[in-house]
Amino acid sequence: MASPVIEFREVTKVYRRGFRGQDVTALSGVSFQVFPGEVCAFLGPNGAGKTTSISILMGFVFEDSGEIQVLGYAPGDVRAKKQIGFVPENFAFYKHITATKLLEFHRALAGPAAGGSAPEIADLLARVGLDTYAKLRIGKYSRGMVQRLGIAQALLDEPQLLILDEPTSGLDPAGRKEVRELMLALKAAGKTIFLSSHILSEIEQICDRVIIINRGRLIRAGLFEEMRGQTSQVELVVDVLSEHLEQELRGRGAEITRAPQSVLVVVSAAQKRETAELLWAAGCDVLQMNPRKTSLEDLFLQLLEPGGGPA
Amino acid sequence: MKIRAIAGSTFGVLLHNRILLLIVVLFLSWILLMMTPLAVMRHMTTAENAGRMQTEVLTMVSMVMGALSGFGSLLAAGCAAYAVAGEMKSGTILAVMARPVRRWEYLLGKFFGVQILLGAYVVGMLGLSYLLASLGGQRIHAPVWALIAYPLVRYAIYSAVALLLVTFFHPLVSLGIVWLIAIAIEFVTPSGGPHLMPAWLRTLLYYVLPSTNLLSESRFLALKEASLHQTGWLDHAITLAYGLDYAAVWLLLALWSFRSKGLTRD
Repeated sequence: MASPVIEFREVTKVYRRGFRGQDVTALSGVSFQVFPGEVCAFLGPNGAGKTTSISILMGFVFEDSGEIQVLGYAPGDVRAKKQIGFVPENFAFYKHITATKLLEFHRALAGPAAGGSAPEIADLLARVGLDTYAKLRIGKYSRGMVQRLGIAQALLDEPQLLILDEPTSGLDPAGRKEVRELMLALKAAGKTIFLSSHILSEIEQICDRVIIINRGRLIRAGLFEEMRGQTSQVELVVDVLSEHLEQELRGRGAEITRAPQSVLVVVSAAQKRETAELLWAAGCDVLQMNPRKTSLEDLFLQLLEPGGGPA
Repeated sequence: MKIRAIAGSTFGVLLHNRILLLIVVLFLSWILLMMTPLAVMRHMTTAENAGRMQTEVLTMVSMVMGALSGFGSLLAAGCAAYAVAGEMKSGTILAVMARPVRRWEYLLGKFFGVQILLGAYVVGMLGLSYLLASLGGQRIHAPVWALIAYPLVRYAIYSAVALLLVTFFHPLVSLGIVWLIAIAIEFVTPSGGPHLMPAWLRTLLYYVLPSTNLLSESRFLALKEASLHQTGWLDHAITLAYGLDYAAVWLLLALWSFRSKGLTRD
């Protein structure tokens, strides 16, 4: 197996609040690994320690104990930072400059060997849908536009690792979809993406690995497909379902959920053929038939329940 | 290149600061206020009282410039503290420090950015002092380089002190401490204010605190041509080297302290 891009080993961080204030344990013995080319979802409720972990990863704050490696270097090492694109939570920047000036500034910070020529900057802005606003001062941008600009600056100089802290916060559904597609393109290009987000339904579509923390402790880490597993149930989506047939299916142990446009019928895998034939015979149109998988949201909520289980 | 980019952005941010804009307005208002008495003095100058009027005009210019120059010291400290603390509060520091920038490069860039602004302030002060002297019908005999170099070195000291303090304290607390230092300097200089503290403490503080009175350009502004040659090149060189050395020590301490500072928003 390739060496990990990110490695946390027994990392602990305690914030000390003044002389008399209470110490707050943000992270307690957290360990996980992220491998090259993976999209890793870093999840947890508010205050779980996600932003602290990312801050440690970037070298913004320092751990009290434990070991961290990013791309084979200590956090904050410029050799690692040369290969990292980062979007902080609530990305903020100097309001008096334009997007083009901002990216030029970041290019200057990347050093003389960095890429990001003028056409590349224009191309980057076009990729995040800001090309028409390139000459507008950032102070005039909406929250979503600033977030897009944050993503553009993270993509400058073709980083190998992208660390995104709530990258879709402030974006409308169309913007979120664009970011998701952008991440899929980056994944296809072999980039490693480490992202934290609260929008689990979106992450679910792109992530390979999931790390869940709560109250500074690791709850679960592993490959998403392994974690969600496959249940022995099958979901059938039909257009309509009569009351009589519903009664009959319930009698056979099916779970039925009615939605405005369709009806979801969940049966055991052993009953799928028999149920499908019964529905067809009754004139129902079976729109979909899929093995039932645990959604990321279900998994997340299940693991966060008391007794949901540590790693 | 990175330090230059950070210095440039710092200068840009400071220029767009509304508080600084207010200071510029006050600066211009001061010019307008001082024009009248100086013009009156010029009108009252005759062949008999020319010597006395020259002294009065230059003393007045020196007083005005002394006030502005003293304010510049607080401005230096305020800008340095704000340059770092403001970025941490707004979160803009995170995107910058995510780039391959070392912490010492960042802080040095901030320091130089503040010095660029203070350079512009000093040039403005210099222009103002010449304008005020000419309104009073007099000439400033002190060398231009001294009127630029002395305040710049003094401001470098105050901004380096503030940079160190802001790695530990809130920017307002840092500014308050710098202000207290500036006051304490007045009391510990041998020729300074009343002796309110034991001799040993006064001597200790005299050696620990920066002797910014020595670095004050105001003492040159009141000079007449006849007394101009009192300060030789060696004196200038030693005084400025002392000031730069003092600023360098504080800056190095700030760079060292910033190495382990958490860059969080609070």
